[in-house]
Amino acid sequence: MGSRFPNKILPYVIVAPSVVIVVIFLIVPSIESVYLSLFSVSPFGNKLIFKGFANFITLFRDMEYLNSLSRSLVFTSFIVFVGLAVSLGLAVLANLKLRGAGIYRTALIWPYALSPAVAGTIWALLCDPATGVAVYLVKLITGHTYNWMTSGNLALAIVTLAATWRMLGYNVIFFLAGLQSIPRELLEAAAIDGASPFRRFWKVTFPLLSPITFFLFVMNSLYGFFEVFGLIDVMTQGGPGKATNILVYKLYEDGFVNFRTGFASAQSIVLFVFVAILTIIQFRFAGRRVFYR
Amino acid sequence: MKGRSYLVSMLAGLLAGIFFVAMTPTVSQAVTKISFWHAMSGRRLPAVERIVNGFNAAHPDIKVEAQFMGKYKEVIAKTIAAVKAGKPPHIAQVYEVGFQTMYDSGAIIPVYKLFKPGEVDFGDVVWPIRDYYSVKGKLYSMPFNSSTAMLYYNKDLFRKAGLDPNRPPTTYKDLERIGKKLVESGVVPYGFSTGWPSWIFEQAHAYHNQYYANHQNGRKGRSTKVYFNKPFGVKYAKTMTRFSNEKVYIFGGREYSANKSFLAQQIAMLIQSTSSVGSIEKAAKGKFELGTTFLPRFEGYPRGNSVIGGATLWVLKGHSKKENAAVKEFLKWIIKPEVTMQWHKDTGYFPVTNSAVKRLLDEGWFSKHPNHLTAFLQILSGVKTPMSQGVRLGNFVEIRNIVQTALEKCFAGTAPPKAALDEAAKKANRVLKEYTELYK
Repeated sequence: MGSRFPNKILPYVIVAPSVVIVVIFLIVPSIESVYLSLFSVSPFGNKLIFKGFANFITLFRDMEYLNSLSRSLVFTSFIVFVGLAVSLGLAVLANLKLRGAGIYRTALIWPYALSPAVAGTIWALLCDPATGVAVYLVKLITGHTYNWMTSGNLALAIVTLAATWRMLGYNVIFFLAGLQSIPRELLEAAAIDGASPFRRFWKVTFPLLSPITFFLFVMNSLYGFFEVFGLIDVMTQGGPGKATNILVYKLYEDGFVNFRTGFASAQSIVLFVFVAILTIIQFRFAGRRVFYR
Repeated sequence: MKGRSYLVSMLAGLLAGIFFVAMTPTVSQAVTKISFWHAMSGRRLPAVERIVNGFNAAHPDIKVEAQFMGKYKEVIAKTIAAVKAGKPPHIAQVYEVGFQTMYDSGAIIPVYKLFKPGEVDFGDVVWPIRDYYSVKGKLYSMPFNSSTAMLYYNKDLFRKAGLDPNRPPTTYKDLERIGKKLVESGVVPYGFSTGWPSWIFEQAHAYHNQYYANHQNGRKGRSTKVYFNKPFGVKYAKTMTRFSNEKVYIFGGREYSANKSFLAQQIAMLIQSTSSVGSIEKAAKGKFELGTTFLPRFEGYPRGNSVIGGATLWVLKGHSKKENAAVKEFLKWIIKPEVTMQWHKDTGYFPVTNSAVKRLLDEGWFSKHPNHLTAFLQILSGVKTPMSQGVRLGNFVEIRNIVQTALEKCFAGTAPPKAALDEAAKKANRVLKEYTELYK
């Protein structure tokens, strides 16, 4: 076989650093978690008791885990579906030829530049039951006061909103880039053929955006499952009453606050399998509909 | 052929490794460096730095490097990771609920073993603090930042509601009456709030001389069963839930977020750690007149004592003799009267030793700062019983969290108090069982 690399060694040398990093930071820890998931481990790791699959059995019998799973699903689907819809809408608006479009675009992208801790603090201050502006405004309008620190569903709603809001900027950038790369001829041709703006959007723009939509779909799902930790930690710490205790936060608490290493390892494996299945499904079903030019 | 290419890739990895090692700076040998990991943020951070800088200036051959590592839970997590990696810090500040974990870790040097007998007079340590951190009369970790809970109140709001500002609540009945009056007169939307709800729940047990767990709160042997779902715990949860429904009480978050509502005068009373006294006093200055008093009591229960919270300094194993000697110097420094007095003035945490308390009295500090005295009088006027010396549980961190969740469910109305506490007790007992299994 004719190789593009005449040198037999060079390719390995070039690949080596990434291989080393993947092995050290991904493969070894993964194997270690599989191993640890079969044990009960003391906080300092100095005592190990073999437990077989007991950690997994406890996990699936634990109502709290099932609660955490369903909360995660609600949380992530909102981020994915509502978040993407709103982002697309905003991107379309930002793509219009308006005076000061640059300012709007910059402003839209801002939330993503905030660290999760800062974003979380902003929302927590806005919604503080005693001193928050949002609570005050709601009280002025409806006459009711809301305390998200005691109302689980409200807390979940606020955390979800905050997480969605933070991801908006990221989504808008990609959608904007996608919108701007759509050839004007296609839209003009459709317009000449008498297609309404609505029809033009759904029949031309949307299909042409599908690779980006799909990419964002996957990224947002991963974000919803894995990257919202900081926000939750700052805002609710999984409370009140475990209402915002999504999978990755529960995992962190069990692993790094409660030091139940074995149990947390079992959770990480379940989470890994779960997200892997979800991603496969996404590629199978949604991936097929993607139209690549 | 294949084998050789693997060899090359391995070599490349090795080279990268050497590169990283070469990047790390070399340590000079002349000065003994001591790493001190802590969790003191906000107004507490400069106070820690003051102590450390003072020590370093007085000891040119030692350099204590104080590093802020995040919240308490992060400090202990990082310490564990460092111990596992074989590079423990010299000193780690660990919260009281981490006591059992550190005690069982096999990674620490108990303070009493570090010092020769008579080298330090531990008898001088204020007794409730010494008791809390001692096992069979031997001190395990160095008292550093100890606090308890007390009631803060806003005298101006009391006056506005037509209440006597010099008669804050003594009992829970008073708390309800006063809270209702404050809310009904429209002075505030809610009467009071608390910080650290599950810690306050633990406080209530100790204060009314009730056990929180078996085997004398885990102080006689590893505890296997919690008692917080017994009648007293249920009474407390029911009372607070009723207060919450009556708007006498508003749940204010897990740690210090309720302070904000108190300073914004949205609530008139606050049950919070005494360590907030410094920051609350400063923030209230010029805005309203601050009062402090003892925790409220339920009538008809025996007297116990309010309990110690906060953190202590643990000495980690695995360092040279010279370094341990330097650690000893530092620990001696922090309990020096001048140092611990300053620490108290800066933060509101207890001065650790009786001699420091005496000097503060002699200076007239307490007469100028009566709010700093409240906590002292409360904790020294209690009764020393096994119930009030502090709870020691395996994985207390998780249990405190479980209780927290149960209380949140009560206040949210999603579970009746008794059911919520029973469920929490079941979970807590399972946690204890898992923990005791490990150390059988």
